[in-house]
Amino acid sequence: MLRLIVQRLMALVPLLFIVSVLTFSFTSLLPSDPVDLILGDTGTQEQHEMLRERMGLNEPIVVRYVQWLGRAVQGDLGTSFFNSVSVTTALMQRLPVTLSLTLVSALIAIVVGVAAGIAAALRPRSWVDRLATVGATIGQAIPNFWFGLLLVAIFAVNLRWFPATGFTPLSASPVDWMRSVALPAIALGLSSSAAIARQVRSAMVGVLQQDYIRAARAQGLSSRRVILRHALTNAMVPVVAVLSFQITVLLGGALIVEQVFAINGLGTLAIGAVRQQDIPMIQGLVLVMVGLVVVVQLATDVVYGLLNPKARPS
Amino acid sequence: MSDEALLEIRDLRVTYWGKSLLGFKGRAFDAVKGANLSIRPGQTLGLVGESGSGKSSIANAVLGLVPANGGTIRFGDVDLAAMRTRYPPDVRGQIQAVFQDPYSSLNPSMTVEDIVTEPLRVHTTMSRAERRARAVDLLRLVSLSEEHLERHPHQFSGGQRQRIAIASALALTPKLIVLDEPVSALDVSTQNQIINLLYERRDELGIAYLLIAHDLALVHHISDRIAVMYLGHIVEEGPSDRVYRSPAHPYTRALLDAVPLLDPDAQRRRRASRKAAPARETPRLAAQGCPYRNRCPHAMPRCEADLPPDYPVDGGGTAACYLFDAAAGQGSARLRAVPA
Amino acid sequence: MKTVPSDGAAAAPTRSRRRAGGSAVIVSIAGAILSLLVFLAVFADLVSPYDPLRQNLIASLQWPSAAHWLGTDDLGRDVLSRLIHGCRIAVIAAGEATSIALLIGVPIGLFIGYRGGWWDWIVMRIVEAVVSIPGIMVAIVILALLGTGLHKAMIALGILFSTSFLRLARGVVLAEREEVYVRSARVVGASDGRILLRHILPNIAPPLIVQTTLTVGAVLLAEAGLSFIGLGVQPPDASWGTMLSTAAAFMDLHWFLAIPPGVAIILTVLSINLIGDVIRDGVGRGIAVAARPDAGAPRHAAPAVVEPSAAPPPRHRPDEVLRVEGLRVTVATADGGELPLISDLSLSISKGETLGLVGESGSGKTLTGLAILGLTSVALRTTHGSIVLNGRDLRGLSQRQIEEVRGNEVAMVFQDPTTSLNPAFTVGSQIAEVLRAKHGLSKPAAWARTVELIDRVGIPRPAERARAFPHELSGGMAQRIAIARALSCNPSLLVADEPTTALDVTVQQEILDLFRDLQAEFGMAILFVTHDLAVAADICDRISVMYAGEMVEMAEVGALFARPRHPYTRGLLSAMPHASDRMPPLPTIRGNVPRPGTWPAGCRFSNRCDFRIAACERRIPLAGADRQVRCIRADELILEAAQ
Repeated sequence: MLRLIVQRLMALVPLLFIVSVLTFSFTSLLPSDPVDLILGDTGTQEQHEMLRERMGLNEPIVVRYVQWLGRAVQGDLGTSFFNSVSVTTALMQRLPVTLSLTLVSALIAIVVGVAAGIAAALRPRSWVDRLATVGATIGQAIPNFWFGLLLVAIFAVNLRWFPATGFTPLSASPVDWMRSVALPAIALGLSSSAAIARQVRSAMVGVLQQDYIRAARAQGLSSRRVILRHALTNAMVPVVAVLSFQITVLLGGALIVEQVFAINGLGTLAIGAVRQQDIPMIQGLVLVMVGLVVVVQLATDVVYGLLNPKARPS
Repeated sequence: MSDEALLEIRDLRVTYWGKSLLGFKGRAFDAVKGANLSIRPGQTLGLVGESGSGKSSIANAVLGLVPANGGTIRFGDVDLAAMRTRYPPDVRGQIQAVFQDPYSSLNPSMTVEDIVTEPLRVHTTMSRAERRARAVDLLRLVSLSEEHLERHPHQFSGGQRQRIAIASALALTPKLIVLDEPVSALDVSTQNQIINLLYERRDELGIAYLLIAHDLALVHHISDRIAVMYLGHIVEEGPSDRVYRSPAHPYTRALLDAVPLLDPDAQRRRRASRKAAPARETPRLAAQGCPYRNRCPHAMPRCEADLPPDYPVDGGGTAACYLFDAAAGQGSARLRAVPA
Repeated sequence: MKTVPSDGAAAAPTRSRRRAGGSAVIVSIAGAILSLLVFLAVFADLVSPYDPLRQNLIASLQWPSAAHWLGTDDLGRDVLSRLIHGCRIAVIAAGEATSIALLIGVPIGLFIGYRGGWWDWIVMRIVEAVVSIPGIMVAIVILALLGTGLHKAMIALGILFSTSFLRLARGVVLAEREEVYVRSARVVGASDGRILLRHILPNIAPPLIVQTTLTVGAVLLAEAGLSFIGLGVQPPDASWGTMLSTAAAFMDLHWFLAIPPGVAIILTVLSINLIGDVIRDGVGRGIAVAARPDAGAPRHAAPAVVEPSAAPPPRHRPDEVLRVEGLRVTVATADGGELPLISDLSLSISKGETLGLVGESGSGKTLTGLAILGLTSVALRTTHGSIVLNGRDLRGLSQRQIEEVRGNEVAMVFQDPTTSLNPAFTVGSQIAEVLRAKHGLSKPAAWARTVELIDRVGIPRPAERARAFPHELSGGMAQRIAIARALSCNPSLLVADEPTTALDVTVQQEILDLFRDLQAEFGMAILFVTHDLAVAADICDRISVMYAGEMVEMAEVGALFARPRHPYTRGLLSAMPHASDRMPPLPTIRGNVPRPGTWPAGCRFSNRCDFRIAACERRIPLAGADRQVRCIRADELILEAAQ
């Protein structure tokens, strides 16, 4: 198992590297000039030049990249062009918020999706199957932020069961945290749960036709055991592969859903950074998000290896 | 003699590489480790072996589907191995193939006419009408009819699909056809129909066949010579009747012994002289020495050290086994002493 | 070596016919919605009642009325008009982004898929990097450079979605390259370009169409999202996304504003996804809906002939373990009829005896084994007959009772050992599981017994091997494990379905010896299904020959080989490769095995038989007691055995 982890890590490091190169080179295309933003119209030409020199902006791009990377690895992602806050600090403040929203919605999506998918696969063409399939199809067509609006209107404004806006950190009060994260997580998880349900259903249907399922039945093992142990273990293999992609999607969706619920997560940072062309912030955001995705991918690779022995290094 | 050979393979090596991390080349696996074969024009060579013997790799190398990693494949005047799968059109047209699985060897979205005339379209400048006429001729050669031209592969049975594949292979009247397990996926009576067909066409058109199969008895009916492969090496070669009736190499003998007889009494007697054998591990052999030494009842210390060369055998052909080293006082005497 | 299984493939027509009806309804509704969308997009100016930008602050935030069918928004603009103009934006957006994605992704994907090598490596690493960034973020970053607005947003989305087309195209090329017919094309000498065009491209169309519909839906949702956060379409233009953005601000005052744009998005995306689903389900690989897999099967059911209860049931033998009488298995046909796959099958096996069930593909031999265990697919029904195992009729048992019988009294070994073992678990755990589930052994006791069994079937280093996974074992070893598992609960009957067909001949010999050995020790009865008469000669005491769903001859093994009495048996014997020493032409049986539904009335072998007479047109009963044959001329004909 350790070998598997090491092997996957080795494959993921180049990924981070390539992402950082892509982001850095892309953002260097942006016309925004930090010196102009800082000094504005004040200051002479020479002062502009001096500041440029001081900030290392005249160096060739490769050198600037290496400097940036060196600092980034130590945790320093630079300073925002606008409020001169440390990018790292700003990100670290907002990260737990977006992260908890993403993880809770992932959990909801997985639980609902897997349960629905199994139920549908076990009784093909029954009403359960039709309901799950139709539900999944419609669910994938609903924009998650619109669903969020509805949830707010019904459950927060009307019934007052949940707060309409805002976010309480877990450390402050677990109960309040759950209440504040519930509606956004449900809204966010909707279309993911639909996608997962379809994946699970088709994987299960495929697995149930395999020879080894028939062989297990021939051995007289009970239906329940055959389905839950023999079939599900193999069906989850392609599903797990899809899960890490789903979590990436959820992370992106969180950026938008946060706006509906006025949650101060990475989303507001991102939108602001784009409008203001705040290059260090954009770079930092991309790096942090990819970092998260890489961690998730590592976790799913490990689970994948557990479920599928052929994927383990021999 | 060898001047007349149509196809002459000397010391052929074929290697596959696995995949490793990040997509670079992984471990090397030698599928063929130095093979020697030759086929004369109009002759049929049967290449027999079990799974993992490397017989399909030789077929793929001759067909230019995988590059050879060593040795030569002389075809007429040219060395195919040196071309590293880039065969010029005139060479390609002379070597055609029929593959094993009749259900995936024909493109499902093409009609029979398309499939059979594809070689003509690639290599000749025949008009559509001329090609169609030729297609009708070809179908007749394989006992199918003109009305089949418009149909698609899935509308035919396995045996019929193999006939279509054979018709396509005959289109350019090649000098050599490589048949890779052409009948393994068919029922027994259909197998015989196809073998009969191949036999008749060969006689008429003077085509040489390289026939790859795992069934010695089947191969023996249609081949002039037989070569037996084991783990990448050719362990025995010779006239078809001699190899089938008086197998020399211990592996060939084991192969023939393993085929059940159609006589229950004889089979019972044979079984009585054996015991239920334990499973053999997949051998992970060191490079030198005879590949069969783990399983051979006659293994000697010599077999561990060096790969046996090809020794001549009474009745024609060779066997790569020290039992036939006349210089060491072995040879024919030993052959008779071995229990059947 | 495989031969085609005949496991009720004819069942497909029923279901697909029914589904085709349902799909047609769905497709028409979805198509209607999309046509409406395009219509409104094109004629938005003519159709919408008001100018979507015209403000009327007095009449803001109104509910639906006669003047404004969907009410007004915060600036008094007519919601319906804005909705209609939003259709235009939706169509433009979808068109732009999807086209860009296709034009970038497909050619690159095809290229790197076919070329491979460095190109493939570099591009795929970049694609993986881009894909690991959440999509919205990628779009946002691209917009940082390009600026906001509809067209810029669509370029960003186009670039984002091109990765999925790229991977799709590359995947299809990689898969097609491995196809045997592509290999054939290379042997023929077709150039790379020709192969790409003629052989690979036709097979890319179906998945590409499906992916396109998915992308269109995703683009619409993404555009809505981007406009919602203000980075896409800019106000005051009316896109459904900007309308939702306005609605969000006024949720407490006038929640109805959120409904029309939301519903519009949902309906559109839903319609597109449904059409994509139907296409994906309906279209086969490049063959298109026109071609059907079983084009040979007749439309009408076989004539419902009540077959004369044929032979007297097999004589009762001492120590009888299995007794099948008059078995009949059918499959449902497209028009509600029933097609027999096995008819009038009777056999019996005693303790310690091996009965061979020999036949070619389509004879029904595998189906017989499955029917005994009750494992035939749901489309098949056993309509007549009894299957009596150790004195109990299996056909009358409940699900729970059958599960009890399986494993304990009857077990099965399948043809392909590598697929009959679960790839996710170690081989030892699969045997131990059976022992624990069925006999309640404790974990250590089950494991100990497992290692014993693995040792008994001749696997060296059994304790170590028990921890291996199926893919780590050779075919022969895996089959030994499968046999160990089958025998773990000491069943009285073992059904072996072509257990050596997938193995090399030297390994086959060892496995057959193993069967004999185990039978001598455990004493079970064996039903040995095979297509190879010589294998049957090796291991069977008696042999039943099946042809076209019925038994045509049954005899003790020596007698069958010495004096076959049915013309089919004799044909089969002489066709075996090691039967004749002659050069070609080798003996054949003219014609082909008839598929279910095309069986001749009367003797099913009659159209291929050299000895047929007029009387062969009628149903032939199985005659005899210890030795049975289904041929009215059996007594007259002296059939030479092989040679």
